[in-house]
Amino acid sequence: MDWSEIFGPDALVVLLSTSVAFAMPTALAAVGETVAERAGVLNLGLEGMLLAGALVSFLVAYYVGSVALGTVAGVAIGVVLGALMAFLSVSLRTEQIINGIAIVLVAQGITLFVFEKLFGGEEQPTIAGISDVEVPLLHDIPGVGPVVFEQNVLFYLSLALALGVSLLLTRTRFGLSVRAVGESPAAAEATAVSVARTRWLALLVCGGMAGLGGAVLVLGQLNVFEEDVSGGRGWVAIALVIFGRWNPLLVLGGAFLFGFTDALQIRVQAVSGGIASSVPTEIFGALPYVVTLAVMVAATVLAGRDAQPAALGVPFRKGVNA
Amino acid sequence: MSVSQAAARLAPPLRLDRRARALLASAGAVLLSLVVGGLLVVIAGGDPVAAYRALLDGALGTPYGIGQMLVLAIPLVIIGLGLALAFRGRVYNIGAEGQLFMGALAAGVVAIFLPVGFDPLLIGAATVAGVLAGAAWGGIVGVLRARWGVNEVITSLLLNFVAILIFTYCVRRPLRAPGSPDLQGRSIQPDAALPALPDLAVHIGVFLALLLVPLAAYVISRTPFGFRVRMLGFNAEAARTAGVRSGRMVVGLMVISGGLAGLAGGLQVLGVAERLDPGISQGYGFTAIVVALLGRLNALGVLLAGLFIALLQSGGQAMSVIEGVPYAIVLAIPAVFVVFLLIADRFARGS
Repeated sequence: MDWSEIFGPDALVVLLSTSVAFAMPTALAAVGETVAERAGVLNLGLEGMLLAGALVSFLVAYYVGSVALGTVAGVAIGVVLGALMAFLSVSLRTEQIINGIAIVLVAQGITLFVFEKLFGGEEQPTIAGISDVEVPLLHDIPGVGPVVFEQNVLFYLSLALALGVSLLLTRTRFGLSVRAVGESPAAAEATAVSVARTRWLALLVCGGMAGLGGAVLVLGQLNVFEEDVSGGRGWVAIALVIFGRWNPLLVLGGAFLFGFTDALQIRVQAVSGGIASSVPTEIFGALPYVVTLAVMVAATVLAGRDAQPAALGVPFRKGVNA
Repeated sequence: MSVSQAAARLAPPLRLDRRARALLASAGAVLLSLVVGGLLVVIAGGDPVAAYRALLDGALGTPYGIGQMLVLAIPLVIIGLGLALAFRGRVYNIGAEGQLFMGALAAGVVAIFLPVGFDPLLIGAATVAGVLAGAAWGGIVGVLRARWGVNEVITSLLLNFVAILIFTYCVRRPLRAPGSPDLQGRSIQPDAALPALPDLAVHIGVFLALLLVPLAAYVISRTPFGFRVRMLGFNAEAARTAGVRSGRMVVGLMVISGGLAGLAGGLQVLGVAERLDPGISQGYGFTAIVVALLGRLNALGVLLAGLFIALLQSGGQAMSVIEGVPYAIVLAIPAVFVVFLLIADRFARGS
């Protein structure tokens, strides 16, 4: 295998620009999860929200023919699942970990059912891709330009939203409430911040972001839907929140690292000629997960758990929690 | 009348009332999810009554059908028991799928290569290898959580992908059946194959699964270990104050639940596929989570839930062929059931 086909000067630009594109679905979900966890809710349903967003956005784009409507629909189903998570975790206060796992299982069962019903036994349905847009001036910046500024509209939208939500969390009144209910819900409640309301909103934002991630994945990149298309990106996103110490910008950085390993393994598979080659492509396939695990464990071991929101995973009931 | 006497007089009816409400809640959840299932059948353009009948016929209509249902139930029950125990202690192992594959790989390697001419010894060695490999794969997660507080849910889940890719790599390359197409791993030695019951075509692993149910029940409710697990699940802080070494418990629970998943993987290789084959698990490690939750983290409950889901899945094949209803419906129904159960339990407990 010729490694210059992957790391040579021209190939490297391609590799890096696919890296940032591949990072986007995970990045959106991870920033959303950061909001939920900063509010004190561990949302393990992320993978399900991503998957549902992928299916619904694909179906709308396929039948209606509009990528824009598909994207909106993907966000909407994410918000619906976010509401289910909030109903169980915030309103009913059932065990958050179980709620999240249940949401993933429901999403997997129902998406598979819907997809089999509509397309079972038929050829794999595809939708038309959307074309890349070169951002004037910016794409002429050497190095960065061709990597970041020759992408499709969904990419720019995602990048703006991921950065926007990061700012929302760190620079706004709502963000302050979110952080307050995640650190010290009783104190927040005492200053007239509703814990329940804030956590509900945080979970709706989180669901919407994960749903958008699913939409970006199928509408912006793959242009097909298949069983388990989310491929663990939701779980990776949760790991990246831990890696990024609940700091949205660091989390975003982690998503790009994941995107790079993902782009690399796909490129290796393509270049090496798949199963017949002497390169163990399966080992490369495991790379994104191994790297994610390694950086998450390393971050936890080195930095401890001080950054973790103090009330993460703890249900809040007015007048009971100290 | 003293306060304690008053409490004693009040206690029994209150407890009965709570049990009755819990029972009612479960019944409500069952009913609702069957209705949702029926609705899904209608959406899919089928007749719900005919579909449920086809499902029951498919699963229970013939001895062979019953056998297939039991073969499916074996891994679900074995893994479900381990997960129920771990979940009791609030150790959320969702990596059973990966632990199953590591167990299958280890059991397979022993069953392929170990030069022993004596069946029970070969089968025993392969089974033990499967248990150990699953336990080790789960143990990694336990040590990370106990030593550094790394969230076990995420690590166990991500290790699934790694385990499955290692398995796939081995089957495609070093352990590929000589001269075979793509994904055919080597066959095990004929001596290593588990004997099957006549007529039903169920391998003898079924007895192991049945034996493990009372054993797990005993461990949970009658041993000091089980008591510590329940304490940890009830109130981790109080358990630690009372001297429960939570780190060791976490590792222990991950090793046990991983070992049982590895055992299930080994049995799939020795009793079902008789070769290394990526098809040995249809997501059993994930389905077993549903089994544990539906079984309410109780050993007998896990047995019943495992049989119920095996019935749904084996009958689901027949239903999808006869009624044209997508097979995935049998995956959706139990998952919806879990959500209803969460809600129903909450209301049964009251605020």
